[in-house]
Amino acid sequence: MAFEAINKAGYTVVSMDETRLDAAISESFRIYLFDQIDSGSDRVVIDLGSVRFMDSSGLGTLVATLKKMGGQGALKLAAPQPAVLDLFNLTSMDKLFTISPTVAEAIEG
Amino acid sequence: MTDDQGQALRLEIDSELANTTLIAMAIRGLCAMTALSPVEVNRVELCVVEIVNNAIEHAYGHEKGHKVETVVHLEPAALTVTVSDWGKPVAESKLESASLPVDPDDPALWLSSGRGLPIVHSLMDSVHYQRDGDKNSFIMCKYIKG
Repeated sequence: MAFEAINKAGYTVVSMDETRLDAAISESFRIYLFDQIDSGSDRVVIDLGSVRFMDSSGLGTLVATLKKMGGQGALKLAAPQPAVLDLFNLTSMDKLFTISPTVAEAIEG
Repeated sequence: MTDDQGQALRLEIDSELANTTLIAMAIRGLCAMTALSPVEVNRVELCVVEIVNNAIEHAYGHEKGHKVETVVHLEPAALTVTVSDWGKPVAESKLESASLPVDPDDPALWLSSGRGLPIVHSLMDSVHYQRDGDKNSFIMCKYIKG
């Protein structure tokens, strides 16, 4: 599994080379995200564009990251595919996260 | 397997989370044979993944070397998926289908786990849990509207 973080317009944009954000990788992704925050990133965009499938473990990782930020800075999600967006809507997690169609819009928003 | 009520397929994996994808891909393939919409196929995949992961994580405590069996029964009007393990049974209290509240203003309610079973209950048309000796099974059914 491969995660990547780049700096863009004041945001840390995290992406992954994975099509499934599920229980098999969610803990590794959580550790990666927590490391980014511990390293000082307080404005984070997670690019979900490559993720075709997400389960409750993947969702839990994003919620844990939001809690980790403790209301400081910003955590935004970008480019979710239909099945991923459906999961957010089904669980009402769309109320917690700022979700944008593209990374560019997440940064500008 | 084929009988007069439809077709059935039995899949077996070892209890590793990485193996859940194998079941998910097989389920997607089977669903593609039905009149389920793309959204419904995604949701059935999600439910099966949640229950298989539940068996690996909770019934077997992430321990490898145990069997997780998935049997898919395909009939013209319904898809029934039975996921079985031979590990620790699910506690009665966790089988309830209560939805989990989300309040953007109350971080204490931002749960990072425990959403799997509520998701399954909300998306499948029926969900049952049964114990038969040391075998524990979730039986989920999705109706197929032609």
